[in-house]
Amino acid sequence: MTPMIDVVFQLLIFFLLTLRINEPEGEFQINMPLDEKAAPSNEIALPPIKVRLIANEDGSLNSIVFGERNLGGGPDVFERLNQVILQTVGGNQTGGAASETEVEIDADYQLDYSYTIRAVSACTGAIDPATNQPVRYVDKIKFTPPKRPATGTPKL
Amino acid sequence: MRIKLSRNTVREVDMTPMIDIVFQLIAFFMVVNNFEQVKVDERIKLPRDQLARPREEVAVDHVVLNIGYVRDDTGAIISEPLVFYLSAQTPILDFGPTLQTEANVQKRLGKELSDVTIEIRADGDIETGQIQEVIRMAQDAGFQKFTLKAIQGEQQR
Repeated sequence: MTPMIDVVFQLLIFFLLTLRINEPEGEFQINMPLDEKAAPSNEIALPPIKVRLIANEDGSLNSIVFGERNLGGGPDVFERLNQVILQTVGGNQTGGAASETEVEIDADYQLDYSYTIRAVSACTGAIDPATNQPVRYVDKIKFTPPKRPATGTPKL
Repeated sequence: MRIKLSRNTVREVDMTPMIDIVFQLIAFFMVVNNFEQVKVDERIKLPRDQLARPREEVAVDHVVLNIGYVRDDTGAIISEPLVFYLSAQTPILDFGPTLQTEANVQKRLGKELSDVTIEIRADGDIETGQIQEVIRMAQDAGFQKFTLKAIQGEQQR
């Protein structure tokens, strides 16, 4: 009996030491194909919706421009972005236009990444208050290439 | 002749309940332990978002890049933005050769780079441009699929 108890205690200590309590993580998928030339198709590809994220000097968000329309700034700007994305995809969240629409995010270099994630989230969809489940508006999201500021210095 | 009955004077403790409990504890820790998250770096303060959900199908081939800062005990940033990869800390703009090496390793393992997902676990305070730099370098190495990681939950600001 003693050897078994020894082994069992060793196992217990192993699992105790390797236990890591982490908060659950999720993810957003970004599609960045190398070859932009699409396969021949009869369908006309929709141009990507351009979402411009303008940053202040300290890295906070100044304003969001959706296409040519300035959505302004402030704490509610992501809700406004979410609404205009929903209007653009036509409220058809289950397929069709929603799955074909592509959003291109053009963020200022110094913008804090957390704002970019919020913008990606606002473009991706919303939580349905009735079911508390995510409703997807756009599946295809991509970034523009990085544009380094002319006189910028890396943030420390 | 009278035979004396020899009685065992050593009292044995009944171990069964203790073993039961210990087995239950082991089962609990086995279930709770998340071995998939061994590649996560606890120095990274991931952004939070309620729409960030785990993928339905688990990516078989993926490369996890932890991008963030070295912080002091108070949480203040004391380094430039770094990529924490394979126990090395590399400045972001110098990470291109490592990605090229990783791409070569994946090819040698017989994998298509278009099937390999780059999982970006980046600190919320990092500049978006730095993340775009990593994506561009990964694209130069041949990778095409990317995921941005976030903690599930309400935004803090």
